[in-house]
Amino acid sequence: MSPTINGFLPVRAELTMGTITTGFKDAYLSGSGPHLAAVLTPISTPDDPDRLRTFYQFSNASFLSKDLQYALLHGKSLRIPKAEQNAWVDIFSAFWEAVGEILKCEDRHPGASIVAVFNAWKKVANTLIRGYSSSTSLPAWTLPCLYTVGKYLRIFAINADLEAASLGSAGFGFSDDIAGDFEKNAHLENAAQIINRMFTLCLSDRAPIEESRKWGIYQMTNLLFKTYFKINSVGLTKNILRAIKASSADLPPLEAFPKAHIVTFKYYVGVIHFLDENYVEAEEHLTWAWKMCHKDAFKNRELILTYLIPCHLVTTHTLPTKELLAPFPRLEQLFRSLSTCIKKGDLVGFDQAMTAGEEQFVKRRIYLPLERGRDIALRNLFRKVFLAGGFEEPKDGQPAIRRSRVPVAEFAAALRVGTDTNGRSRVDIDEVECLLSNLIYKGLMKGYIARERGIIVLNKKGAFPDTGV
Amino acid sequence: MPRAPAFSTAATPAYTPVQARRSLAHNKVNAPANGYPASQANMAMPDSEDRKRVEFPPPVRSYVQRCFAPENQIASVTIPEMQEKLKIVITEAAENQKLHAIDWERLPLPQVMVQNERNKILANPASSNWASQPSSPGDAARKRKSTDPHQLQNGSPPWRKANNNRFEDRVTHPSTEKKQKMTLDQSSKSKANLEMRRRRFEGLSINGNSPSSPTESPGRATADQGPVVGRCQTLEKNYFRLTSAPNPDTVRPLPVLKSALDLLKKKWRHDGNYGYICDQFKSLRQDLTVQHIRNEFTVSVYEIHARIALEKGDLGEYNQCQTQLRVLYAQQLGGHPTEFKAYRILYFIYTRNWTAMNDALADVTAEDKKDLAVKHALDVRSALALGNYHRFFQLYLDTPNMGAYLMDMFVERERLSALCAICRAYKPVVNIRFITEELGFESDEQTAHFVINNASAELLEENNGEVRLLTGKAGLLFENAKAAAYRVVDIKDMCIDQSKYESLSTFKSISHTSSFVPLAFDEASMELCHVGPKAMSELVVPTRAM
Repeated sequence: MSPTINGFLPVRAELTMGTITTGFKDAYLSGSGPHLAAVLTPISTPDDPDRLRTFYQFSNASFLSKDLQYALLHGKSLRIPKAEQNAWVDIFSAFWEAVGEILKCEDRHPGASIVAVFNAWKKVANTLIRGYSSSTSLPAWTLPCLYTVGKYLRIFAINADLEAASLGSAGFGFSDDIAGDFEKNAHLENAAQIINRMFTLCLSDRAPIEESRKWGIYQMTNLLFKTYFKINSVGLTKNILRAIKASSADLPPLEAFPKAHIVTFKYYVGVIHFLDENYVEAEEHLTWAWKMCHKDAFKNRELILTYLIPCHLVTTHTLPTKELLAPFPRLEQLFRSLSTCIKKGDLVGFDQAMTAGEEQFVKRRIYLPLERGRDIALRNLFRKVFLAGGFEEPKDGQPAIRRSRVPVAEFAAALRVGTDTNGRSRVDIDEVECLLSNLIYKGLMKGYIARERGIIVLNKKGAFPDTGV
Repeated sequence: MPRAPAFSTAATPAYTPVQARRSLAHNKVNAPANGYPASQANMAMPDSEDRKRVEFPPPVRSYVQRCFAPENQIASVTIPEMQEKLKIVITEAAENQKLHAIDWERLPLPQVMVQNERNKILANPASSNWASQPSSPGDAARKRKSTDPHQLQNGSPPWRKANNNRFEDRVTHPSTEKKQKMTLDQSSKSKANLEMRRRRFEGLSINGNSPSSPTESPGRATADQGPVVGRCQTLEKNYFRLTSAPNPDTVRPLPVLKSALDLLKKKWRHDGNYGYICDQFKSLRQDLTVQHIRNEFTVSVYEIHARIALEKGDLGEYNQCQTQLRVLYAQQLGGHPTEFKAYRILYFIYTRNWTAMNDALADVTAEDKKDLAVKHALDVRSALALGNYHRFFQLYLDTPNMGAYLMDMFVERERLSALCAICRAYKPVVNIRFITEELGFESDEQTAHFVINNASAELLEENNGEVRLLTGKAGLLFENAKAAAYRVVDIKDMCIDQSKYESLSTFKSISHTSSFVPLAFDEASMELCHVGPKAMSELVVPTRAM
């Protein structure tokens, strides 16, 4: 989801006061994870456009670790254990090298490449992971660093893949076949593996919960999901969910985590269920995300609705109101004509709206559930036929009841409305029966087909459940 | 390390690479201490004895005669070159006990083979600038020039840029004997061969930086180095999963692959031995891949393999081809993209992989929708999505191309699904004749059998010469049968997904696990192809020893 969620944005500005190294000391003294993460952010800020360059120029390869040792760890009465000191020097050394590659790109240096940036950044990530996984591990409050490094790893990987693609493909590996999506996302897949290690790092921490890396679990999961979606391997998310479920007993309750982490997590879980056609579960998670999402996170709310609306259509046969869609013109445009057609029982219009929106629907992966709206449109059309049939002759004293025996031919006539007379839109009676039997099977109509007599016998009460008749 | 001298000799121009290789072979036979089990060495001995006793059958004799016939000579190939090649062909055939198996009438004459090899290199100059090392061995080239003046006259700019192996391939004829040796190994003892390759590879990386070693990495490309240029001339080749860089001696160049495809097509028509064909196609695909050949021929190889796999219901293999074809079609290389887009949609209906279905729909362009097969597949999908069994079975009875093979995979389950709806909607009975027509059965008997097999005979009742289905009781039984039918696919689907995830693992992890995987692979595939028990033991033993 959007970066507005990660919560670091406001913090960055404060850091522009000092250099990267003093930023480290300040953050460490105040014990602020987000500040520390901001220090390890590989971009310059608007207030300090030379942030990276100043840092890169402050040392050179041969004196780097000495310089870092001094700049990071001296003065300001920092009390950092020796092993941890070394870890930070290693991390910042890798960071320094990565910054060098980034600056090369910025300067359009002839040897510059995003692939090189990615590789250098990968080293930062691995050094950081090592910092956490070694016996004298980095304290859990520094965890936002892990997320920030992971986040930029993903960004650099995507750009590196683009760069590699523009340069033409490299190796084929030893695979037997020509190609897969394999090559296309090689760097991002690599990044996914590293982020996966970060995830494990959080999940498998056995420290007491107050000082546990477990607090980073959902944030890392979200990053990982995002990456898996991008490389089109949604299936891999199942492993992650399984792992989280397996250790759910050791995890704090969802409510205890920052809402930003949980809303994103719920959104992804909802979409994962959605793609598996588990619309009931999907709806549950998406509704949660919808309710808890920050009201100003416009894009996120729009994303949630994109999936929640088709979900709702499938599970409850209800359509979005004008008020709901009013703030989201894009969604309004996406769903409005479809909704109108479903409501009116206009099959021809429905098919046209599906065709018109097909590209967008397919892109968002909502085509298949929306298609099911046709059943609702069909139900509404047949309901009109039923209503048009009027009432039986009222028997003395009894309240009038609707005509419940409807010839199949009347339904066929309804289907012909709005279609032209030739081509495939010609309706044959067997097909009408088939459509009717489906609605009955799906519980959208109550009654049965008496084939010999060519009529439908509808329930006297509730022939069309939940529609008032 | 016994290997070291071999390489130093290879680097000395006075020795040809062949001799280096021979010393390897000797090591192998004489010194089981090398890491090859004694049984392996013993196996090699009788082989060489066999060779001496070989009686040449008449077709071979006539082949040799034709080689020397004046009308068959090619100006650019000298008699000694041709003789050299001929020797290789015959020796190889004899060692493989294929003297009777090879179709000598049809086998290209050695002079043609030599020419093809050259043409292949000439035709492909574009791929030659991948070589990361400058093909510097200037002095070696000059020396060879004197031994082989004829060929350098043809030398065109591509040679300059050509990598070592091309150079080698073209210039040093003695080395072809080494190739032959390797080819034999490949077909009979690939495992041992693999180990040899690996060792040589290690050895190479030791002296790899030495600029005075023109024969370093003789045509051995690492995975990221670039395409291999094959020089294997045999048409048939068993599939063997690569675990290290491919050896150009066992890779067939494009012209040979083309003849191989023709041969396979013929064999498929005549014998219809799917195990053999599938194995051969896999090796064909592998050869194309390692040489980075992506053209119309590549497309047709995958298309033909996909069609054959479809016909035999081998959906795993079909799916592999389909995945590759999608990539190939994206590059506009020709072929029949709409036919296979249609199959792909039908395939995902079968596996009920909606995520993939969504991708497949995204691939369909407005232009594609005009195609009969694509339109059919889309209609099938939408009919099923809306539960319109009436339309679905109309479409089933009128399926273009080979789509019916795919539809057969899920038609039963859709019948069950339709019967569930019919039983719920039609009361109290429904004529079996109606079901036969609606659900595309061939006859009322077939329908009745279907009901009996999936539910119960008690649901059928005869009345005035009409058989009727008692829909009231039938619903639940069909629901159960339907659930079972869908469950089967879910399991299959899961397996398919699993394989997809594996393919996501990186190159590195593949090479880690590979030493174990191929064993299982080969043993399984061996049963499919025509290899005697002896060959099989040769294949398996060295690996175990590794």
